[in-house]
Amino acid sequence: MPVPHTESRRCRPDAVPPRAGVGLKAAHYGAVLEARPDIGFFEVHAENYMGAGGPPHRYLTAIRKDYPLSLHGVGLSIGSDGPLDGAHLRRVAALVRRYEPGLFSEHLAWSSHGGTFFNDLLPVPYTACTLQRVCEHLDQVQESLGRQILLENPSTYVAFATSTYHEPDFLAEVARRSGCALLLDVNNVHVACANQQWDPHRYLALFPLEHVRQIHLAGFATDVDEHRRPLLIDAHDREIAEEVWALYDHVLARLGAVPTLIEWDQNVPQWAALAAQAERAERALRAAAPSQERRRVALG
Amino acid sequence: MSTRTASLAVASALATAVTALAAPLATAGGMSMSGSMMMKQREHTMAELHTGKFVRCFGVALAGHNDCYAGPGTTCAGTASRNYQGNAFKLVPTGTCTAITTPYVTIVHGHGSLSKITEAGR
Amino acid sequence: MSPWADLQERFAGALRCPERPPPVGCNGPDGLPDVKRFDVYRNNVLAGLIDALAQSYPVVRRLLGAECFEETARRFVAGHLPRSPVLLEYGQEFAAFLDRFEPLAALAYLPDVARIERAWLEAYHAADAPPLNPGALARIPAERAADVCLTLHPSVRLVRSRCAALTIWRLNVTDGPVTGPEPIALDASAQDALLARPEAEVDVIALAPGAAEFIAALASGRTLGDATECARNAHEPFDLTEHLTALLGGGWITSAHLKRRRTRGP
Repeated sequence: MPVPHTESRRCRPDAVPPRAGVGLKAAHYGAVLEARPDIGFFEVHAENYMGAGGPPHRYLTAIRKDYPLSLHGVGLSIGSDGPLDGAHLRRVAALVRRYEPGLFSEHLAWSSHGGTFFNDLLPVPYTACTLQRVCEHLDQVQESLGRQILLENPSTYVAFATSTYHEPDFLAEVARRSGCALLLDVNNVHVACANQQWDPHRYLALFPLEHVRQIHLAGFATDVDEHRRPLLIDAHDREIAEEVWALYDHVLARLGAVPTLIEWDQNVPQWAALAAQAERAERALRAAAPSQERRRVALG
Repeated sequence: MSTRTASLAVASALATAVTALAAPLATAGGMSMSGSMMMKQREHTMAELHTGKFVRCFGVALAGHNDCYAGPGTTCAGTASRNYQGNAFKLVPTGTCTAITTPYVTIVHGHGSLSKITEAGR
Repeated sequence: MSPWADLQERFAGALRCPERPPPVGCNGPDGLPDVKRFDVYRNNVLAGLIDALAQSYPVVRRLLGAECFEETARRFVAGHLPRSPVLLEYGQEFAAFLDRFEPLAALAYLPDVARIERAWLEAYHAADAPPLNPGALARIPAERAADVCLTLHPSVRLVRSRCAALTIWRLNVTDGPVTGPEPIALDASAQDALLARPEAEVDVIALAPGAAEFIAALASGRTLGDATECARNAHEPFDLTEHLTALLGGGWITSAHLKRRRTRGP
């Protein structure tokens, strides 16, 4: 390509391939730059790259040159009743322009209220009212970013008495109305189903898999609630559980291969342990039929 | 010093600095040796992280502040993991400040001043 | 107010106040209230923010020990929930909080160590900017040299301490044993530090007397002549040549311009 390039133009606007990817942690920057491992893509949390400059951007720019990137927002608070934080949306849009990620995803959750950021993915009741609000917010985000985004199913610990939709139905309706795609977090399916006493296979049978463009896998912690019932915590601090791998195989059998991320955000292990999890997902993806959706994965 | 004398002093200092920095030896490593008075100590921070070969070009790899996880140990006081819902912990410093005495900063080996500081820090 | 707005308000209120019961209608799978389930969210908020503070203030944490730091951070978080989802900005008020934090008042140097850590983090994440080529200053005529205004690199931060905060920071920024030089009289060891990241790495520099006044004057847009006067008012002698060489050679200056001379009034 002829010069001059702008900094972001040097990044290839690659689609994220239907392979295994890994959440990029600072502890692994060096290992990735040195060994250039054969990983399908990397994903980062958008908010960690919202400083004006400095080392995080240097590392991400270098890694982005060689790998497709998925950008995962944790702060837009799409499930809030109140309006989106315009300044934050502009920061996200600037980051999307700068790094041209193949995918941008956010959560069916809220984290900000009344000007306070609670730094957690908080639950949303599933009603006609919240459905409309979530769709309005998705319209605004997709318009600002000029692209389709992915919305992730949550891990939940409580149930709202006012909910009138089952979670997979709510997500199906959100995707249908807003035109967003979905990120299926299989660990969240396992965690939410255990905590809400839902059957995960029935949940997945109802889930609108035709809208799924990416899968997340992670490890969970186990606890109990006030009544000594099991309560699973979406801890992202260990290997993926066998039950979750089984659900993943089940999803791949129906869906075919889709980009799959290994999330490990706490007690981050050596690179080799993370790569081994990605390798296992990669084997499952190779065994799965190519996805019909594969060709429809947006270029970014 | 008159305004004119002061102005000439500034001009002379500026010219000397510019000349010094133009000399290849003086700028080795991007740092003039004659800056030593100002830089009684110039430290690279977080030296223990400086083993990586990419640090010089990219900087220290500092973990992000926004992580996507749920904190463990959330529900039961009996779990080994952290639970912030329980009674307040005592505010007794047990870190390296126990090796630093006040009002004078004395660096000691071991825990020579531990009891004194625990008392002071209470 | 819509039902969701109302419920969200009550949910947020219960997150802020651990003594409040969870909002009505926020239940376990049997449709009955379950405080421990709601506590997952309360704990996530606290744990995440305490972790973010630990990330920003590793030296304060090392000085206090993990448990004492967590309790200090927990009390800070309770009164300072973030206003922005960008957590690398979180905790800017931590040093000021420590100034007034009675239980740790004996550790007089602690707030200034926190200020150094905040300045380090700000320098780390500050905008990148190419340094000024010192040769550009050679063209300035001698009689205008005192009218030069120098723009500092966006990452430059000054921390002034009345105690030996920089020494204490330096001894604790690595994991090694806390061993150091001769005992330092805390009251007689005021230290000024400059932090900047002209390239990839954050430089932390102990300043000579007068340098902080000099740099602060430049940062506020004063001319080289005025800044030199500020430095000399604070401390005589002040070696301007050495400081200019260090500032320009360190890459801490990004541009220079001449201040317009005031035209004489009637």
